[in-house]
Amino acid sequence: MSVAGMTSNTVPWELLRAAGYFPLMLNPPPGTVPFADRFMEDGVFSARIRGIFNGIASGAWPFLKMVVIPRTSEQEHKLFLYLHEMARQGFANGLPGLYLYNLLHSRSDEAEVYGLGRTHEFRNYLERCAGASIATADIACAVEQSNRASRAIRRLLDLRQRTEPRLNGTEALALIGAMYFMDRAEYAQLAEEAAAEIALRPPGRGVRILIKGSPLHHTGLHRAIESHGAIVVAEDDWWGSRVSTKEISQQADIVRGIFGKYFREAPSPRELSHDWFLSSAAAVDGVIFYLPPEDDVLGWDYPRLRETLNERGTPSLLIREDAAGELSSECHRRIEDFIRKLDT
Amino acid sequence: MAEKQLASTVAAAEHQKTWFAELRRDVFDNRKPYAIVQADMPLELFQAMDLPVVSNQWWAAIISAKRLSPVYLDCMNARGFHEGLCRYCSLGLASTLCADAAPPPWGGLPRPALIAARLTCDCIQHVFQIWSEAFGTEFVALDAPGASDLPARWWELSRHRWRELYEEHRMDFMVLQFGRLIERLECITSRKFELERLRTLMEGVNRQEEYFEEVRDLICTAPQTPVRMQEQVSNVMAAQWLRGSEWAISHARRFRDEVKERVEQGVAACPAERLRLMWVGAGLWHDMDFYTAFEAEYGAVFVWSMYLAFGPDGYIRYGLDDPLKALASRTVSFNEQLHNPPWANEWIVDQAKRHRIDAALVLTPLGTRPSATGNRFIELALENAGIPVLPIFADMVDARSWDAARMRRTVAQFLEGRTK
Repeated sequence: MSVAGMTSNTVPWELLRAAGYFPLMLNPPPGTVPFADRFMEDGVFSARIRGIFNGIASGAWPFLKMVVIPRTSEQEHKLFLYLHEMARQGFANGLPGLYLYNLLHSRSDEAEVYGLGRTHEFRNYLERCAGASIATADIACAVEQSNRASRAIRRLLDLRQRTEPRLNGTEALALIGAMYFMDRAEYAQLAEEAAAEIALRPPGRGVRILIKGSPLHHTGLHRAIESHGAIVVAEDDWWGSRVSTKEISQQADIVRGIFGKYFREAPSPRELSHDWFLSSAAAVDGVIFYLPPEDDVLGWDYPRLRETLNERGTPSLLIREDAAGELSSECHRRIEDFIRKLDT
Repeated sequence: MAEKQLASTVAAAEHQKTWFAELRRDVFDNRKPYAIVQADMPLELFQAMDLPVVSNQWWAAIISAKRLSPVYLDCMNARGFHEGLCRYCSLGLASTLCADAAPPPWGGLPRPALIAARLTCDCIQHVFQIWSEAFGTEFVALDAPGASDLPARWWELSRHRWRELYEEHRMDFMVLQFGRLIERLECITSRKFELERLRTLMEGVNRQEEYFEEVRDLICTAPQTPVRMQEQVSNVMAAQWLRGSEWAISHARRFRDEVKERVEQGVAACPAERLRLMWVGAGLWHDMDFYTAFEAEYGAVFVWSMYLAFGPDGYIRYGLDDPLKALASRTVSFNEQLHNPPWANEWIVDQAKRHRIDAALVLTPLGTRPSATGNRFIELALENAGIPVLPIFADMVDARSWDAARMRRTVAQFLEGRTK
């Protein structure tokens, strides 16, 4: 089966799957990135985007037949342009096919109409690549796999967000995030088994923490927080609690249903609303804002969100270090103090 | 500040100051509306509705030139906005939120009826949302799909073949968004939008940019540049913010006439010109003297920046039977053309060759990330074309980390080492 790389959560997995691809979230481990160092400006792109650029441009991922890049973040738009240029100038050979999926995340009527049109065009593109039309039955099958995975994740999220959580944040992030890398039918089955097993556990103890910040494609921050006795019960992050679990309707226009999930439900840096966060913050003991040095988006909203939490009496802590590596001892001390105060 | 060599430069500066004073008077005394917009918005729509606009980038440049950016940016950091956030597009917001820290230039921005931005990065909508709340006014955003059909020599297509260059679906989407913006402008101004008026305005923009093209050609072909880069910027941008208006067209003509006369009379901006420099990126608004600092010792003159050069290639649209679509074609790809591969690097190398550039300084503004992209490709393309490059890591409005003396030494070493 051909592998189609996805760069974030707003690529319609169901269409790729129905077209016969194995959709795979690209998430390279930390390491040296010589191609990114040469062609990408320092301090402009996140480490994850640099890693993806490097993996594709260097030819380290020959198994990729195609890479689909959504236009739901500026960094991904630039990633598309940079990779396109690498191919055009012959700086990289054997690049997979690149597709810019022009999904927009401003919540306007025009963006909705436009996005639906681009989603139909994406289907057409996949059909052109395959040289055959994608059967509606195949889309329905992929949607059902996706829906089953969504149901399993909702179960995990429920176990996590209870007053007495049954799994901690470090585990939850790994369990939820696995969906992006696996066959969803297999994932759904394993996640259901995990949920059944976890439900039998004794409840976890510790103050309940919500994380708000840059996407966490690793468990470093969760491990650090939970090493001090707290439990991360949610994160405003597509790698965790904000994974889109809305089931896609198979009753009407199925492509419209798929589009709706990625347009309305999937978070992105271009989303302005903090409704989910503010609602979730009402059910925790404290909030940890995570704004690593590479942040250039949430930092704009942080002062207002912090103020809102202060008015509500919800304590918060700001972390500005990169948690992909080891946090400093000073940062650990601040987390420990914060959690101790919440616990008293 | 270096002397202004052109009378049109003095006129441009005076006009801007007078215009702003009139704007304040109209807003405060006559309760007339105005708007604050990002520079890459379709200003023509506002112009066609007689709604004055203040460009956010122009205002940031004024603040920076008045040496107010450090106090405002420090104030923003103290308010909890971390130091890694973009500065160019947020300095105007800072002047509103932190007006107590220092009086803003020229009395500051009054409350606008509308603020508007194109979403060409992930942070601008957050900045403008905060700003709109601070003013208690409305924020209109135009979203920005990415280009995926990217013929490298875009400037050869942009004037006559813009319909095929900019992708139908992107232009159609932009026109749809224009519809929403026009509704808001009609509501604010209590006027009806007239398509014919926009067409006339667009024709005026073409005339204006044609004058700028003549200036650009004069700079390319004259033995020595007749006009310094910073005077090009002053003249061009004063007109661009009011593009298509009678004053803008007339000023562009006056600027062209004056430059032409200087060429005919053999007048050079720097008679000792030996090296022709290119400045890639936004202007260093807090240190404009930088651009003349290498003339006396090295005969090194900045002859090119994007501000003049982009006018003809980026703005002229022939075939205005559908002026909204033509305007959409102008609006959809500013960012790709100026800051991203392949369009930015291909265009800049072409410009460098036409302007007989000897060396280029490329600004990577780490305090304004979206403007920093594409620079490695630009630098590589220039070097491959035989043009030495000095990367400059600095911010266009934030003077806090700018060491003027050190940067002048760095450039001097570069000129001595790479251009002999």
